[in-house]
Amino acid sequence: GVSPILLCRSSQALLVWVGSVAAQLFSVLSLSRVAEAGQRRVLDDATRQRRLNRQLDALEKDNFQDDPLSSLPPSGPTARLPAFSEGEEPGKKKRKTRGDHFKQRFRKNFQTLLEEENVSEREEPNYLSAAAPPSSLPPRLFCSVCGFPSSYTCCSCGGRYCSTRCLITHRETRCLKMTL
Amino acid sequence: REIVVLANGTSSISSRVLLFLFSHSVIPNCQFRSKTSRLKTFTANQLDEIKDPSGLFYILPFQKGYLVNWDVQRKVWDHLFGKEMFKVDFADTSVVITEPYFNFTSIQESMNEILFEEYQFQAALRINAGSLSAHRYFQMNNQELCCIVVDSGFSFTHIVPYCRGKKMKDGICRINVGGKLLTNHLKEIISYRQLHVMDETHVINQVKEDVCYVSQDFYKDMDIAQLKGEDNTVMRDYVLPDFSSIKKGFCKPREEMNFTGKYKTGEQILRLANERFAVPEMLFHPSDIGIHEIGIPEALVNSINNMPEEMQPHFYKNIVLTGGNTLFPGFRDRVYKEVRSLTPTDFQVSVLQPPNPISYPWEGGKLLAENPDFDEMVVTREDYEENGHFICEEKFDI
Repeated sequence: GVSPILLCRSSQALLVWVGSVAAQLFSVLSLSRVAEAGQRRVLDDATRQRRLNRQLDALEKDNFQDDPLSSLPPSGPTARLPAFSEGEEPGKKKRKTRGDHFKQRFRKNFQTLLEEENVSEREEPNYLSAAAPPSSLPPRLFCSVCGFPSSYTCCSCGGRYCSTRCLITHRETRCLKMTL
Repeated sequence: REIVVLANGTSSISSRVLLFLFSHSVIPNCQFRSKTSRLKTFTANQLDEIKDPSGLFYILPFQKGYLVNWDVQRKVWDHLFGKEMFKVDFADTSVVITEPYFNFTSIQESMNEILFEEYQFQAALRINAGSLSAHRYFQMNNQELCCIVVDSGFSFTHIVPYCRGKKMKDGICRINVGGKLLTNHLKEIISYRQLHVMDETHVINQVKEDVCYVSQDFYKDMDIAQLKGEDNTVMRDYVLPDFSSIKKGFCKPREEMNFTGKYKTGEQILRLANERFAVPEMLFHPSDIGIHEIGIPEALVNSINNMPEEMQPHFYKNIVLTGGNTLFPGFRDRVYKEVRSLTPTDFQVSVLQPPNPISYPWEGGKLLAENPDFDEMVVTREDYEENGHFICEEKFDI
């Protein structure tokens, strides 16, 4: 028969061989993951906060698209565009509130008006003091891809995901795209 | 003498000229432009005239709930008061008009000027919408002393306590979540998950109103929404309008839904599951989306706790829900459930949702106009011309 020592040695060698193959595989995989992890850009807190703020601001918009009127070529003296807007009847009594003063006063935007109001200087309840405080409960976290409850955070950008499938979708579509 | 009551909100104006019994109308408070007829700007209810409302562009006079664009507002009012609608005779008419809480002085002054110098109304009363709601509420429940009004509209949500008809400024709480935020969020998630609809505010607003509801048990609904096929009782298919054969979108009834394959018809379908209840959830937990504020039930408890102790039980007994967002199915029950769980058992909690939450302030305004004391509450044009803004500042509690 085969010498027991030889058998042991060969089984050892086999084990060693199997072990080395496994180690190579493992290192290849982990190398790629490690390499990938090393290659993947990680956003810092300030950038993450900027992204979040931009998302919140986008929710405040009235329209996503541009004004259809603004895309028309400007009307020169020769181009006579028909005027469909509500016409003023001729002979309407002149209103007192016309002219540049009117344009200046009645077209300010919200931020300007708020600043002019100088609200922070007042003692009594005002617009700023009426703002709702943050909640004492922790925020609930949802997957940014499918909307179901999420347990994991993307290392690169901080976005939430719930499963590997959603992570792959996230990495392909949203992760590091559109960063400031 | 006529009285016009204008509940002048960001999303819509409820109005009616009283003595002439025109039908009570609710019209959009903005102008529209469409891609197809680019030169024309449609005002308010001319929306119905637009043949192809896809990619509808909105021009709102309000920004963050405050009236900043007077050009647009005047165009809407011109249309409302003009010959196509109410044909108002200004010299003979008083106006009751609503304003947001803590309205800026400059806006209030501009309003005075526009009402008295431009339109030349005979008399005017400027008042918060919630005060009109409270007035309406106390009319029905005249033995109650206090109530707390939740006004959840397009731009934001206000929680305002009222005691004996006067608002309690210390308790006013503003949550910056409104219908606009809900619609925009819904547009974003649909655009990311299914179909690009970022331009279709009007259509998705309709989807939101038709299909969204407030969940009574959030995590349970989340679990159901993850099931497959017919077990997923939360899922709905919504047919989008194409403006040629389908004028208005609608939700497919469950019997017609195809759970296995694709639909054979040429309709564009949105499949909505967790979006249905996750979107209105933002009213209860703004932190879901990254807005670090308390939700409506917490804000109610917060406001009431800022009130004197002896009044607190009275507020809990008289919670009134107004505003468009309260129309989500299940809203009232959820608010009751959450407030009840946050309140000691010796307090009685009662939440009322009136049959028409959007026009509830308007109904209050109508009652106020019929009140014998009305003439003392208004500022007449003569008053204003003699005393200027000062008299309005004194008389109106905005």
